[in-house]
Amino acid sequence: MRLAGPFQKERREREMAEEFESHFQMHVEENLRQGMDAAQALREARLKFGGVHQTKESVRDGWTVLALETTWRDLHYAIRGLRGNPGFAAAAILSLALGIGASVAIFTLADNLLLRPLPYREPGRLMMVWEVSPPGNNRNSVSAGNYLDWKAQNHVFESIAVFNERPAAFAEGSRVEELQEQFVSADLLPMLGVQPLRGRLFTAAEDLPNASSVVLISYRVWQSWFGGDDGAIGRTVQVRSRPATIIGVMPPGFYFRDRDVDLWEPIGLDPAHDYRKDSGRYLMCVARLQPGVTRDRAQTQMTVVARRLQADYPQSNTRWNVNVEPLRDSLVSEVRVSMLVLLGAVGLLLAVACANVANLLLARYMSRRREMSVRLVIGAGRGRLVRQLITESVVLGLAGGVLGVVLARLAVAGLLAIAPADLTRNIAIVVDYRIILFAVASPMLTGVLFGLAPSFVASRADLTLGLRENSRTSVGGAGLLRAWLVAAEVALSVILLAGAGLLFRTLAGLQSVDPGLNPAGLLTFRVELPEARYHERLQRTQFFERALQQIGRLPGVESASAVSYLPFNGMAAGTDLAIAGRPRALPGAGPAATVRTVMPGYFRTIGIPLKRGRVFADADDTPDSPYRFVVNQAFVEKYMAHEEPLGQQISVDMDDTNPFGEIIGVVGNVKEGALDQEPTPTVYYIHAHLAYPGMVFVVRTPLDPLSLAGAMRRLIHDIDPAQPVAQMRTMETVLRETFARQTFSALLLGGFSLVSLALAAVGIYGVLAYSVTERTREIGVRVALGADPRRILKLVLGGGMRVVLFGALAGTVGALALTGLLKSLLFGVTSYDPATFATVTLVLIAVALLAAYLPARRASRLAPVDALKVE
Amino acid sequence: MDKKRDVWQGTLALMILRTLDTRGAEHGYGIARRIEQVSGDRLMLNYGTVYPALLKLEQEGSISSEWGVSDNGRKAKFYKLTRAGRAHLKREARQWEETTDIIARFFAPEELQ
Repeated sequence: MRLAGPFQKERREREMAEEFESHFQMHVEENLRQGMDAAQALREARLKFGGVHQTKESVRDGWTVLALETTWRDLHYAIRGLRGNPGFAAAAILSLALGIGASVAIFTLADNLLLRPLPYREPGRLMMVWEVSPPGNNRNSVSAGNYLDWKAQNHVFESIAVFNERPAAFAEGSRVEELQEQFVSADLLPMLGVQPLRGRLFTAAEDLPNASSVVLISYRVWQSWFGGDDGAIGRTVQVRSRPATIIGVMPPGFYFRDRDVDLWEPIGLDPAHDYRKDSGRYLMCVARLQPGVTRDRAQTQMTVVARRLQADYPQSNTRWNVNVEPLRDSLVSEVRVSMLVLLGAVGLLLAVACANVANLLLARYMSRRREMSVRLVIGAGRGRLVRQLITESVVLGLAGGVLGVVLARLAVAGLLAIAPADLTRNIAIVVDYRIILFAVASPMLTGVLFGLAPSFVASRADLTLGLRENSRTSVGGAGLLRAWLVAAEVALSVILLAGAGLLFRTLAGLQSVDPGLNPAGLLTFRVELPEARYHERLQRTQFFERALQQIGRLPGVESASAVSYLPFNGMAAGTDLAIAGRPRALPGAGPAATVRTVMPGYFRTIGIPLKRGRVFADADDTPDSPYRFVVNQAFVEKYMAHEEPLGQQISVDMDDTNPFGEIIGVVGNVKEGALDQEPTPTVYYIHAHLAYPGMVFVVRTPLDPLSLAGAMRRLIHDIDPAQPVAQMRTMETVLRETFARQTFSALLLGGFSLVSLALAAVGIYGVLAYSVTERTREIGVRVALGADPRRILKLVLGGGMRVVLFGALAGTVGALALTGLLKSLLFGVTSYDPATFATVTLVLIAVALLAAYLPARRASRLAPVDALKVE
Repeated sequence: MDKKRDVWQGTLALMILRTLDTRGAEHGYGIARRIEQVSGDRLMLNYGTVYPALLKLEQEGSISSEWGVSDNGRKAKFYKLTRAGRAHLKREARQWEETTDIIARFFAPEELQ
């Protein structure tokens, strides 16, 4: 019995050595008997033998030739067999390719987005340190005062740093570009372990309030602005209209939390200043654990520090706590559920593909059983047979694998194109070859396993039984196994389809939510005025007024205005406020609202309906006019539910001084953060009273909004040539990006379920087709006895549908159990939504019927003569 | 040189088959000795060369091998003819006879033609 592989070689070598050894011994004995002495006997035997080494090599050559010949012959035979059965080969290879392609694509994405270690030194020891607000937001921004105290009082971090981001105009000469800038404390970049590509990082001395401005630029900026010239180091540029010296270039691909950042500057906190007096919570904090300290221990100690600060600074810190979170978790948490769902889906798809391949192989070999038996009888070793079967599975696996990898590459490219932008900016996809190996190995192993099955069947059973032609024993154990496989495929497909269906309904639900404004025909773009040149608030208001005046005069513009943060951007300022006539609450415990500052005409332009009172007029937009506020309905419902809001006085904690102002109007709600969340109370300022330097223009036009883009840029340039314009896009695009994730997940899952459905259909067809072939004689007899072809049709169909229905039932049960996992992704639909499940079942049954119909029809058309002739 | 070796290997294979045919089962050393004896010691045979030939014959299926014990109690690998081998031998023998017969005619004296 010949086994394959290295064991055989070892055994052969050993046996050859033993054989030669015994040859020598016999010869020597013979010589001794003839009277030679020991030495002579040995010498003569050796001489007579010839070159031992040479002989051994000749024998080894003989082994190699045989192995090659056999393998070549197996390969040849396998390919011929597959070519003779193209339907089977195509189905098997396609199943493999689809399963492998999908798995590799998703595993690659998940690996790159979720699993890959962060590109910093010992990233597992980096922690985000958040404040926890009294209402319970455990990722709240950090105040400078608290940060400085944390730095002084902790025992658990070897370094702790802060950062935040703002857009900034980067200019040299007349060229200007708006870049995203990160402000970092001096120890942040060293904490990450990153080395600059050129130049150096910030020193502690440069991280002070009055130090001269130094900046680091990204690799991209270094290339696009300075052509990669080393002379860029030391050059002076204009950042936010202030001079700054470039001291270094960051390595390509470097980023910290935001891939879009191209510029770094020291944040310049003054350790001696009491920030609690005049600034709020606007920083983010990252720290590196000391060696030997765990996250839990850090959390415990920081909680102690937080308590101490609560006691020391009741005004600002009462009931504010601290949250120490691993950096990675803070980055991927939103994506984690979607990713895990996708991984699960891929697992299911791979299982379906494997089941399909197994099914096909079983069916095929069942029909070749006779041939197998014959070959066994004429003396082909069972080992040989096994080898041939394995070879065929391997050929299939390789073909499917190659095709699958090609499909995967296309899929990854396609997925990146439709994926949400913030996940994939600047990502470099690295393919881990272990992924490919796994994805190719699992179907191949399945193929090999099921490829071997018939060899056991054929060799264990009585050989003559196999030789005897029969159609009766064929649908026996193996037939049942195949039926189970089909049922499994159907069940898995139901699960995938149900998931996809729910996600699509979520998408539809999101898209039908009334956002609270009118997004059609709106162009938006952002202008960020540098503080250096627009120091006075009046200057800023005047800039925006002038710009809006001129925009309003352009042909095609219906109306125009500006707002500090666009809704649906996920960002907004928020703070405490006080309502006149009520006792002042502690910070964090009293009323709070999102704050936006707007130019006159905003609500009309963007389409937010006015419910009560009036909106801001031009007359309100002067610094001297009395403070006035507009609030939204959510604000009224939450804080003035049974009162008259108009005329009430509120004071909002945004500025150094916050005079009370009258509420002059109530406007409709806008889903601030995201469409699937409740609107938050919002207070609107007029720009003159909260003069943000950065505002987003909104322009309503009956034309295609983007057609006005060029005109807008020119207009702003005419007013101030050094002023860049950023994020020019339509409101509809902004809205679409809000549910980009859900769209992505839905499309992906939809794609999977379709593939799975196709595979299941192929499986159903395949099983029924073979079953019909094997029962040909039986069917022929029936027809000869006068059976109506329609009854034959029903007979075959019925058999097939029974399996499908069983699988669909199992799948529905499974889906009901599993879709609960999707809950956090769903909106407007329950995880057991009956309409979705009913539709899915119907679709599946329809497809199954179609797949089953073809072989059933073939069966019903069998002429009895042909049927009985088949051997 | 190769052709000569091929012819030689073919002849050797035949001789091995014939030896096994007459002797039944035999080990490598025995086969080599026997071939030398039968040729009347006219063949200077390197004993080692039988082994590649034995391997080839076994791969073709003409002989089969089995470990056994020699007359003086040594463990040795014994070879014997298979059915296919016997058929092969008969075929080859017949061919030899025919060839020898034809050649003999050419070298026969003129009158017998």
